[in-house]
Amino acid sequence: MMPSRKLLPLMVAGGVVTVIMGFVLVVLLISWFSNPPFGLGNAPAQPVAFPHTVHVADNNIQCEFCHRNVTKGASATVPAVETCLFCHQNIDGGSADSQVEIQKVRDAFDTDTPINWERVHRLPDHVRFIHEAHIRYFTDDDIPVKYGINGEELAETPDVALTCTICHGDVGNKVEVQPKTGQSLKMGTCLDCHRNNSVPTDCTVCHK
Amino acid sequence: MKLTRRNFLAWAGLGAVGAVACEGFGIREGELNIQSPVQLPEDLVRGKDNWYASLCRTCPSCEGIVIRVMEGRAKMIQGNPFYPTNQGKIHARCESGLQSLYHPDRISSPMQRSGARSSAQFLPISWQPNGMDLLQTALQERGRSSVMITEPLRGHMGLLASRFSSAIGGEHLGFESIDNNTYRAAVKSVYGQDSMPDFDLENSQFILSFGADFLSTWVSPTRFNRGYGEFRQGEHRKRGMFYQIDSRFSMTAANADKWLPIKPGWEGHLALSLAQVIIAEGLQAPGVDVASLTGGDNLDNFRPELIVEKAGLTAEMTDGNAVEFVKNLARSFATSRPAVAIGGGSAGASSNGLFNLEAIYALNYLVGSVGEEGGVKLNPGSPWTDVPSSSKVGSLEDWTRITEQIRSGQTNLLLLHGADPVHGLPDSLHLRNAIEQADDLMIVSFSPFLDDTSAMADLILPDRVSLEDWGDDISEPGPGFQMVGFQQPVVNPLGDLDPLSFPDVLLTMAQELGKESQLPWSNFKNMLREGSDALFELNRGSIEASSAEEFWNNLLKRGGWWDENSTGSKYVQPTAGLLKSIAGKASDPDFSGIGMDTDSFYLVPFAHNTLMDGYNSHLPWLQSAPDPLSTVTWQTWVEVNDQTADRLELKEGDILRIESSKDFIKAVVYPTPAAPPNVMSVPFGQGRKHGSDYATDRSSNESSNVMDILETTQVEGTGSLAWAGTRVKVSKTGESVSISKLEGDARAVEIGLTPAEDIIKTIAPENA
Repeated sequence: MMPSRKLLPLMVAGGVVTVIMGFVLVVLLISWFSNPPFGLGNAPAQPVAFPHTVHVADNNIQCEFCHRNVTKGASATVPAVETCLFCHQNIDGGSADSQVEIQKVRDAFDTDTPINWERVHRLPDHVRFIHEAHIRYFTDDDIPVKYGINGEELAETPDVALTCTICHGDVGNKVEVQPKTGQSLKMGTCLDCHRNNSVPTDCTVCHK
Repeated sequence: MKLTRRNFLAWAGLGAVGAVACEGFGIREGELNIQSPVQLPEDLVRGKDNWYASLCRTCPSCEGIVIRVMEGRAKMIQGNPFYPTNQGKIHARCESGLQSLYHPDRISSPMQRSGARSSAQFLPISWQPNGMDLLQTALQERGRSSVMITEPLRGHMGLLASRFSSAIGGEHLGFESIDNNTYRAAVKSVYGQDSMPDFDLENSQFILSFGADFLSTWVSPTRFNRGYGEFRQGEHRKRGMFYQIDSRFSMTAANADKWLPIKPGWEGHLALSLAQVIIAEGLQAPGVDVASLTGGDNLDNFRPELIVEKAGLTAEMTDGNAVEFVKNLARSFATSRPAVAIGGGSAGASSNGLFNLEAIYALNYLVGSVGEEGGVKLNPGSPWTDVPSSSKVGSLEDWTRITEQIRSGQTNLLLLHGADPVHGLPDSLHLRNAIEQADDLMIVSFSPFLDDTSAMADLILPDRVSLEDWGDDISEPGPGFQMVGFQQPVVNPLGDLDPLSFPDVLLTMAQELGKESQLPWSNFKNMLREGSDALFELNRGSIEASSAEEFWNNLLKRGGWWDENSTGSKYVQPTAGLLKSIAGKASDPDFSGIGMDTDSFYLVPFAHNTLMDGYNSHLPWLQSAPDPLSTVTWQTWVEVNDQTADRLELKEGDILRIESSKDFIKAVVYPTPAAPPNVMSVPFGQGRKHGSDYATDRSSNESSNVMDILETTQVEGTGSLAWAGTRVKVSKTGESVSISKLEGDARAVEIGLTPAEDIIKTIAPENA
C-alpha cells in the first residue's frame, strides 16, 4: 500500500535521520572496539617478511640494536636498510624463502630505495608518546613497585626487552608482528596505568 | 516510490554526503607507512635534531657557530655560546652559510673552459681522470711559476697552502680587497706584536676610535659589539664615553656620543695633537716615562692650534671652538681611565695611513692602556710551533708585481681559492687585461661559485662549502689568550653536487707529485687530528680528556680549544723615542688623480655591512639585508650630504656619475644630513660581472664596483691600497630609479624641526 501523500515527507525525514544516526553509531562502535579504526588486530602485509623470531628469539639481538632511538627519544624508529646490511652483507639466510626476502633488502640498499613498512601500533595524532620516558621508568631500579599496563604488579624491574613486551606483547616470538592480543591502547588504558604507577595524569602530559 | 525530480535530488544529496563522510573516515594510502631510510647516520633519526659545533667562514673573523641538523640537512646556524670570541652571538653574515650550502648556482662538477677566456663558457668534466689529471699536469709543468691566491688563511689550512706552494716551487698569497696590512704593520711597529690585539671594550671607560667601523665591519665586529654592549649597559658600572673620529657617518659613528667628521687622511695629525695636549698638561697615566716616549720632541708642531684647520674641524662641528674642543677631548681621554684608542678602516687607507695608525695606537701608551684591563689586550701566538696564527695577505704592491709577472709570462699558473682578485682589485691595475692577453696562462679555480676571476679560469674544480668540510682557525684577533677553533663537516653535499675538499685535493696532488716529505698527510682530517693530538700533549686548556681520541671528540663537540691562562704580554715596553719617530713620519695625505679642485669631493668607500668587499654578493640574504643606516638593499648607493644634493639639484634615486682620473661608475643618490658636505661615500661589494644572478642581474646604474675608479695610490711603508685616497667629480646623468630601501619617508632632518614633546607623548601616572 502506498503511503498517503501527507505521510511521505515524514517518512523521508525519518529515513534520513535514521541513516545519519546509524552512521554515527557505526563510527562510534568501530572507534570503541578498534584501535586504530579499521583493521586493528591483524598483522598487516609487510614489504619484506621479517621474522622477529629468528632475530630476537634465536639470535638474541636486542630490541634497541635495530630500534635505535627507543631508549633515546620519542620514536622507537625502524632500522635503516644500512643497519640490516651490517649482518646481511654476509648472512644469506637458511632457506630459499629467507634468501628471497634478504635479497629484497640488499636490492633496496643497492638501488637507494627506502622500505615502506606498514605501521602496526599507532596512537592518534593528538597523542604524544615518548618511548624513552617509559623505558626509563620501567627499568629504574630505584622505583620499588611498578605495575604493568593492565594493573598487574611487576615481580622485578624489567630490562628493556621485557619493558617492550608490556605494551607490544611478545614480539620476539612472533613471525609476523601484530598488536598484543586483547590489549587496548586507548586513553583509559593509559590513564589506568599512569594512576597505578602514581605518575602524572595531567592532560598535557600526553596530549599535544 | 515514484522517482520525482524532488526525490531524485534528495537521494542524490544523501548519497553524496554519505560518500564524502565514508571517505573522510577511511585511511589514506600510505597513512600508516613507516619508512626505513637506506642509510642511517645518527642525524637521520626522524624528528630529532642534532647540534654540531663548527666555524663560520662567511667573513674573516671566523666566529664559532652551532648548526642544527635534522635528517641530514642543516637547518639553522646560531652562535656557539662557549666560543670565547663571539660567546654565542653571531653576525648576520654567518646565518647565510646555509644559503651557500643550498645555493642553486653552486658549481655541481668540475668544468673546463670551452669558449674564449672571459666568455664564462664551460663544459662539465669528471674528477677522475680529467679534472685531477689536468691539475696534476699543470702543477708538474707550471708549478715553479705558479701563484696560489686564497682568502686569508690561518691555522692548518694556512700551513698546508704555504707548504704546498713551496713544495711545487710557487708562491702563496692571501687576498683581501680591503686588507689589514697597514693595521698589522702599525701594531708591529708600536707594540712589537705579530698578531692583531683585542680591545677590552667591556671594561673601558672611554673609547676613542679613528675610522674603525668596529660595530659593523672592521676586524671582529661581533666580538666588539658584545664588549660595546657591556661598555654601555653593563651592570654595576658607569656608562662609558665614546668618540668616533671618522670622515664617514658609519654605524659605529651613529652609536658614538660624539662623531667628529674629520678630513680624510688627517687622523694621525689629530692623534698627535691629542698626545701633545696630554704631555703638555701632564695628564699621562702614572708611571709613563714621557721623556723616553717623546725622545725629547714635545710635539709642538702638532698643537691643536696648528692642526684643527688642516683636519677640517670647524667651529660649527665642535661646539664653537675647535681648539678648545680638541684640548677637552684630550683631557677627557686621559683622565677617564681606563681608556682605549682604536684606529683602522679609512684612517689607515690613505697614503699616510701607517703614520695615522701608529700615532693613534701610541696614544694607548700615554694613558697606560697597553696590556691593561679596559685597554689593548695583546694576543699570544699559535699553540703549535709551525702553524701560523696570522694571515699572510698580499698588498697592492704584491698584486701589481703579480700582474706584471702574468703579463710577462713569468707567472703562468694561477691557483685560486676563496678570492676574486679581478673584482677585488682596482680596475686601473689592469689585472683582467693582463689575464686576457696572457696566452700561456692557466687558471685553476677551486671556487664552488662562479665569480669574475673564476669566469676567466681554464679549469674549475669546485670545493666543498664550509658546512661540508673540515677546518680550523686561530682567531685573529683572539680574546687575549690562546685559542683554536675547529670546523667539522655537518652534512654531506646534496646528491646532485660533486665537490671535493680543496685541502684534500692539494694533499692528493702532493702525493701524486711525490711531495710526501713536506706534506705527509693522506687527507686534511688526518692533518687536523695530528694537530689535536699535539694539543692533547700540551696537557692544558679547556678540554679535559684521558686519551687523544676522547680529546678529539670533546674538541669537536665544544668547537675548539682555548687556554685562558696562556695570555699575551701584559706589558710592552715602548721603544725609546716612539712618538718622535712617529712624528717624523708625518705627511699630508696624497690625493693625486684629479686633484683638489673645489668642484671635486673626497671619495670615502666603505665595506658593505653584509657583503663586505663583495665576495659573498651571490647570497640573497646578504643582498637583501638592509644597510643599518640608509636601509638600502641590493643597490650601490652614494651617500651625499643633503645640502650638497640640493646644490647639485640631486634627489633620492637619481643616478649619479662618479668620476676619478681612472674611470667612472654610476650609483643611486641617497641624500643624508649625516654625510660631510665634501665627501661622497660608496659601499664596496656590488658590481660583479659574472656568476649568480643575485650578484649580477642589475644594470650598472644600480650595481657598480667602486674599485673600478680608485686611484692606485699606495700606503707609504706597507704598499697597501690607499682606498680612501681618491678624489672624484660628480655629475647628473638625468636618469633616476626607485631606491630599494626600507626606511620611510620621514627623514631625520624633518623630525628635527618638530619639538621633541610633540613626538614623544608622555602618559601621566594617573592615566597609565
